[in-house]
Amino acid sequence: MQTFLQLFFSGLALGSIYALVALGFVVIYRASQVFNFAHGEFVMLGAFLMISLVRGGMWWIVALGVTMAVTGGVGMGIERVVLRPMIGRPVFVTVIVTIFVGALMRVAINVIWGVGERGMPTPWDTTSVMEILGARVLYNSVAAILATGLVLVGFYLLFQRSRIGIGMRATASDQEVALGLGIPVGRVFAFSWFLAGSLAALAGVFLGMFPRIVDGNIWLIALAAFPAVLIGGLESPLGAVIGGLALGVVQLLAQGYVNPLLGAFGNNFHQVFPYVIMIGFLMFRPYGLFGTREVERI
Amino acid sequence: MPTKPLSIRYEDDLRLLSSRWRKAGVVLLVLFALLFPLRASSLWLTLGSEILVFVVGGVGLMILTGFTGQISLGHAAFIGIGGYTAAILGGTYGVPFWVIVPVAGVLSAAVGLAVGPFALRLKGLYLAIVTLGLVFLVAHVLRSFPELTGGLSGISVPMLWWFDGPTVSTAQFELLGTPLSSAIQKYYIFLVLAVIAVLFATNLRRSHTGRSMAAVRDRDVAAAVMGVDVARTKYVAFGVSSFLAGVAGAMFGWEAQFLTIDATVNLLVSIEYIAIIVIGGIGTVVGAVLGAIAFVVLGQLADAFLGELPLLSELSSAQRRNTFQAILVAVFLIVEPFGLFGIWMRIKFYFMAWPFRY
Repeated sequence: MQTFLQLFFSGLALGSIYALVALGFVVIYRASQVFNFAHGEFVMLGAFLMISLVRGGMWWIVALGVTMAVTGGVGMGIERVVLRPMIGRPVFVTVIVTIFVGALMRVAINVIWGVGERGMPTPWDTTSVMEILGARVLYNSVAAILATGLVLVGFYLLFQRSRIGIGMRATASDQEVALGLGIPVGRVFAFSWFLAGSLAALAGVFLGMFPRIVDGNIWLIALAAFPAVLIGGLESPLGAVIGGLALGVVQLLAQGYVNPLLGAFGNNFHQVFPYVIMIGFLMFRPYGLFGTREVERI
Repeated sequence: MPTKPLSIRYEDDLRLLSSRWRKAGVVLLVLFALLFPLRASSLWLTLGSEILVFVVGGVGLMILTGFTGQISLGHAAFIGIGGYTAAILGGTYGVPFWVIVPVAGVLSAAVGLAVGPFALRLKGLYLAIVTLGLVFLVAHVLRSFPELTGGLSGISVPMLWWFDGPTVSTAQFELLGTPLSSAIQKYYIFLVLAVIAVLFATNLRRSHTGRSMAAVRDRDVAAAVMGVDVARTKYVAFGVSSFLAGVAGAMFGWEAQFLTIDATVNLLVSIEYIAIIVIGGIGTVVGAVLGAIAFVVLGQLADAFLGELPLLSELSSAQRRNTFQAILVAVFLIVEPFGLFGIWMRIKFYFMAWPFRY
């Protein structure tokens, strides 16, 4: 039971990071029908920037704000320069463009920061632990879960109450009508990318904390989060959050309980296990849990 | 500039090479490809073989993505299956290359057909990400049997003439006074395979199946309504594409002579092939060939010249290549969506209409 709780809480912490990443995908996809393959690079940028800022002597919480703002700004810039001219082109084309934008960002990050491993600084003692129901849970994990919860509440309010949030929902449901009603669609795109970028940066900061590290491979988190996005349904923020949390928990439980069952085949099996689940799941629900079923017309 | 003569007989329409100019062009290209290795330096010979590998794999992806419109990020999985088939059969069991070529293709096609049911239910992004999952799964399976695949340390890929026989290097041949080294022999074998792949794809495109593929790509519901068997067409596309990818994988293994799982079964490899068909021009066989040539030659030049630039010289050669490739593809997608083939068509139409603008 204790092992289970231990795995469950670490899974929840990892899952909340997945949820942040998945939410970023969904926000961008809803606004501009672009599936952003460069999202992992935003995560990476956030993590590296945060480390530099904190090491440069900035207060942790201020550094976090600056990191999120800068990463969001980079996202906004990429949308304006690269993806705005591609509006109306097939999804396939934007997928390829973002893959290569991601490759460029990765090279840029390598040039600026190098790829050496480093630890993410935290305002509390990085390895300190608290006891919950007999399970020993890292402060880092608790912080990740709490921060994600806070972000989700803010996100909900933004979507339901604020002017721009309602504009985002309108744009998601019909771009042309939204434009006709006077909603600044261009600004909605920019804001969506900003939001996705800062969510990714936040995810990057928590992803880099002990027991994990920040290195040149941290962008792979985006590929790992795909099953969460697809199982949740591409257009649904709620689906992304549920999918993300479930993904984290399932992955760590699989690491604890499924891997040993499979013998030699089980080595690192938990890394591909979410994909196996996703492939099986999509056979029965091709549009995920909350995705919209497309109506086909000739 | 001569225009295409008016077809007055049905046979004219059926011919593979419709005009005298096209014939002349193809003959020149084949002659160049045949004579090229006799004078080329060893670096360019390697690049030539690399191009031929990319041609076979690129034609495979072109059939799936360009003809049928199914986005696949899983090409690397099939390349990996082909490569490791060549490595295991050739290295452990001493099977010669001409047996491995079809076996690698068939094994890879079997896995490709297994993806078929998903392609029937999923579209666009969902399919792309399921095929991406296939890359991770194949990599995981290969990693799980280290006694067979060499695990993380990799495996060498010998290319044999005969069962447990000599590798291609020791067989003695001579052409026009030039002794044929192992690299040249390999090049010619690859050339034959590439020519077969290109001819096959060209003919496939002109066949009933090829036209069904185009219909499925353009609007699958409409195609189904008109009586195209969408399921069969998608299965054929996945099967043929992964067959060619398997062959390309075996060729890749022989060219590299050593395979590691992380470098072979990798999202970046899939992306390289997508870059090739995008640069060349999506939806045409010529595009796959042009794309492969441009990709390898420009990559090599970029590697040489970008190294001179101050900031970029700190990057490794692979990173420089990736950077250049990324910029090239982004520019093509934004400026010329039909790739090199589109540029060629524009030049051709300009001169055909000359001195008028259109």
